[in-house]
Amino acid sequence: MVQSTLALGVEAVGCAAFDAGIKGAFGYPGTPSTEGFEAVELLIHGAQDGRVAQWAANEKVAYDLAMGMSYSGFRALVTMKHVGLNVAMDAYANSALTGVRGGLVLLVADDPGMHSSQNEQDSRRLAEFAWLPCLEPSTVQECYDFTLRAFELSEALQVPVMLRIVTRLAHCRAALARRAALAPAGLGPVPASAIQDWVLIPANARRRYVDLLEKQPRLMAEATPLNRLVPGSARRGVALSGMGRAYFGQLLHENPALADLPRLEIAAYPVDPGLEQAFLAQVDEVVVFEEDYPVLEERLGLRGTAKVRGRLDGALPRTGELTPRLLKGALGLEAPAGKAAAALELPIRGPRFCDGCGHVDAYEALQEALAQVGAPETRVFGDIGCYTLAAQEPMAAIHAVVEMGASISMAVGAALAGQTPSVAVIGDSTFGHSGLPALLTAADAGVNVTVMILDNRVVGMTGQQPSQALDQVERMVRGMGLQEDQLQVLLPVPRQHDANVAAVAAALRHPGLSVVVFRRECIQSIRRGVLKDHDRQERERCTTEVCS
Amino acid sequence: MNVPRIHGIVLSGVGGQGVLSLAQILLEALRRSGLHALQSEIHGMSQRGGSVHAQVCYSEIPLTSPILDEGGADLLVALEPLEALRYVSMLRMNGHLVVAEEPQMDMAGYPPLDDVYAALKTVRGAHLVDTEDLARRLNHRQAGGMALLGMASKFLPVADAVWHEVIAQRFEAKGARVTEKNLEAFEAGRGLIHDPVGA
Ligand code: SF4
Repeated sequence: MVQSTLALGVEAVGCAAFDAGIKGAFGYPGTPSTEGFEAVELLIHGAQDGRVAQWAANEKVAYDLAMGMSYSGFRALVTMKHVGLNVAMDAYANSALTGVRGGLVLLVADDPGMHSSQNEQDSRRLAEFAWLPCLEPSTVQECYDFTLRAFELSEALQVPVMLRIVTRLAHCRAALARRAALAPAGLGPVPASAIQDWVLIPANARRRYVDLLEKQPRLMAEATPLNRLVPGSARRGVALSGMGRAYFGQLLHENPALADLPRLEIAAYPVDPGLEQAFLAQVDEVVVFEEDYPVLEERLGLRGTAKVRGRLDGALPRTGELTPRLLKGALGLEAPAGKAAAALELPIRGPRFCDGCGHVDAYEALQEALAQVGAPETRVFGDIGCYTLAAQEPMAAIHAVVEMGASISMAVGAALAGQTPSVAVIGDSTFGHSGLPALLTAADAGVNVTVMILDNRVVGMTGQQPSQALDQVERMVRGMGLQEDQLQVLLPVPRQHDANVAAVAAALRHPGLSVVVFRRECIQSIRRGVLKDHDRQERERCTTEVCS
Repeated sequence: MNVPRIHGIVLSGVGGQGVLSLAQILLEALRRSGLHALQSEIHGMSQRGGSVHAQVCYSEIPLTSPILDEGGADLLVALEPLEALRYVSMLRMNGHLVVAEEPQMDMAGYPPLDDVYAALKTVRGAHLVDTEDLARRLNHRQAGGMALLGMASKFLPVADAVWHEVIAQRFEAKGARVTEKNLEAFEAGRGLIHDPVGA
């Protein structure tokens, strides 16, 4: 049965995972990976056949959940954005040594051009780093087909398989043909004979590392059928991967003369050096079109038999997204001009806080409180979420944003260096993601740090997924041994402004660690009723049990 | 060899205006007309009032690139005048622009409105619509988007019946009255374009 629908590339991955018979999907929201999880979540909730879809506190936890499911013999999908893989790095790199039982596919969405990310790192490098296979689709249908293939490969090779997509493909909507969905089929848990493989004490790990390296030729052999060499008569060729493949394919339709160029089309890693050699033997010059890092470009360049052009020699810009225009430029094709742009200067219309967002009240209270305690110039450590929007002018209320959870640890580091007061601002979801261990360190450090937790009850930035720390923040903070006078919970609304300023000022003056929780639900999540069911259940529980 | 051309539509506006939902209607209508079609969107923080834009490509031949070059669009549909100016260079020399006049000025440094309109009027193939007035006349606050779609429809190879079908399906869940209002706005938009050259 083939069923045709419209889907985003990242949704196609989620649909394929469902159709491949996964038992569970796990992830942490992050653009542009979020909708992949949401697609599979929707299918799983609709099917009601015992499968699970669960957001995790962070990417490492999500990865571990998927590994546990694989250990017990079922297929699992884990989703994250590129920088999320850094968080899951420990679990991910070691999973290459344990191997998998049920197929495990890791969807990583990279963000070349940094549409909504802190950096432009290339996950293919991390596949290579962990000695794991990586498939790289270039169309919505390939997102689907490659995901099915990835599950098969994962079980055949007994390693996790990475599926790497980029923003443009993740957020490309096209027709998608789906096959009938398989029901989850358990292989049974890791057999007794293989238990030692999953216990990475040094003696086992050394053995497994050798096993993994010995598996590499098989990984390469399995990847090879997805890669191909298309001969041509010209002495100049192109090497293509991911969107490079998609854009060149389109150009070829428009300029059939380009068929003269020999092409090396890469869709799966690791790449067989024999294939590269065969390609290079046909050309004197190669232009490489790939997204993010010069991965293929470096590999081909090292062989030294042809002139290799791309991001390293300036044929393409060193940073940013690949575009059809860049391909045309590098191939010396003419690009049509468009209509003349307006002579007017067009200011950027950046994102801003929604009208009435509680974060604004929280920041206003902080800024006034800092002035009140005589430290208006204090550099404030911020974090990742909607509240990062406060870094922009005119508010300019936070002065560092590095990675999830960094605010608290950096504030402690600055306090240890003598900054006082030292202030961190973090959201509830980010707090659950990686603020918790940092707060544990802060509680232990004995320095003057004020942590403001902006609790809007959801992951506001990525579309209001429920926060893992939902309604638990004070309990978590108290659990770290904080006394009542070190913790305040405030309501960020204009009518509470003066009281909030006074409370934050008191926290700033407090000589040790103090935590201020500002709690008001995200306006968008209220509007969409995201937590309505949860809150109703809580109210009912409260009248029937303990709270009455 | 005569290769079928790849056509492109750019949609632009401000978060919350419905750019992506218009793009999806276009995509569906083109697909139902037997064409290959792709849509891409940049919507990282759309609900928070930033610029949002989407592109729809269509052709008789299969498509693999979801993004258009400068000078590669036949049609620009803008829900906001300043957001129209941002993408004018995406239009082919003989491309058309349909744009809502009602501004969203909640941003720093919005240029004087008269300058914005004047700049739009210098674009050949531009069709401005007073969406505020239209909404008042149709007694339908959100008539603008559908009216623009109606204007755009004059330049696209999609039959009337297909448009109506796709629009009706889109609003099905919201009831017959909402569907009717939207079809009315769509038709009002169609009535605003008299000479669909290059359709
Ligand atoms: S989405 Fe929610 S948290 Fe984010 S700015 Fe809007 S109201 Fe605030």
